[in-house]
Amino acid sequence: MPAIDRATASPGAVVLEGVGVAVAGLALALLANELSPRGLVLSRDYFPSARDPASTNTAAGSSRPTDAGTARGAEADRLAAEPQAEGLHVLDTEAVLVMFNDPRREQGLFVFVDARDDRHYQEGHIPGAFQLDRFYPDRYLPEALPACLAAEKIVVYCNGGDCEDSKFVARLLRDATVQADRLFVFVGGIEDWQARGELVERGSRNSGDLQRATP
Amino acid sequence: MNRARIAALAALVARWVLGGMFLYTGVVKAVDPVEFLKLAREFGIVGSPAGLNLIAAALPWFEVFCGLLLLSGVAVRGTALAVLVLLIPLSAMVLRRALAVQDAAALPFCAVRFDCGCGLGEVAVCQKLAENGLLIGLAAFLVFSRDSLLSLRHRWL
Repeated sequence: MPAIDRATASPGAVVLEGVGVAVAGLALALLANELSPRGLVLSRDYFPSARDPASTNTAAGSSRPTDAGTARGAEADRLAAEPQAEGLHVLDTEAVLVMFNDPRREQGLFVFVDARDDRHYQEGHIPGAFQLDRFYPDRYLPEALPACLAAEKIVVYCNGGDCEDSKFVARLLRDATVQADRLFVFVGGIEDWQARGELVERGSRNSGDLQRATP
Repeated sequence: MNRARIAALAALVARWVLGGMFLYTGVVKAVDPVEFLKLAREFGIVGSPAGLNLIAAALPWFEVFCGLLLLSGVAVRGTALAVLVLLIPLSAMVLRRALAVQDAAALPFCAVRFDCGCGLGEVAVCQKLAENGLLIGLAAFLVFSRDSLLSLRHRWL
């Protein structure tokens, strides 16, 4: 191979080569996605629109973030508005703490579901929470769904703030026949939980690796 | 060192910089396609779920493919053309998003920071646009460069 090859190529040949690269690249990319364990399912709608809120349980009876005692006021109202508009119940951090400390949690009647991915879940989750990454539901539903179906109340959370995953997981569980009036979205998420210095569990569920979050 | 040699070395450096960047950012996105999917959705590029999924699933691996071609010196000019065609609209989308963020937050343009889905996390938009400008320049240079120093197969056709 010569060190410097100044062979010419017509512009048409370069364009044809570019098209060839694009076609081959796309084909190989789709193949790689298919083979990758983290690959996406092309036909799946990962951000489905909400069902008609009128057909779902309304927020009547749910704890509203504007209840006396919450410090988040308008911001909490904003974060709670979207799931409530879809007929999902929302909980503020105080209500979640009450449920967490209720003995019914250890009896499996109050269940917590973490809607985040593996990395974030392993870094720290509410102790005893099931993981349900909605982007790979086949991996997590077999364990989480039976527990949710048997529970009286299911609290779903993700990072908090503008994170939507808890809302989508709540809908996923509702579509999987978990009764809507048992589902609650913890809008403050793990960020609020950790900000209060509550216990977090690292690693897998019930690993026993507990530590108090640093506010 | 004569001009021809300098040009050949410049083309080699351009290939490695562009190829290395594409390989790195492609791998970062390919190992976490869900995160890239969420970011792509924020850009509002396509409305259909299938279209969004196609972009999020294929683009990272396509970048890896182009990066490997450039690093190894295979079909260099055609790959550079494909990269150029990709970089220009992507850069335009970053600019559009930055202008929207600037408008919403009332910030100076260069103070705008967000995750552009480029595989580099949150970036300052001016820095990102400057980087993309450099990459576009390198890609354009390679489209016209005929130097094939350390290339496995500079021309495939």
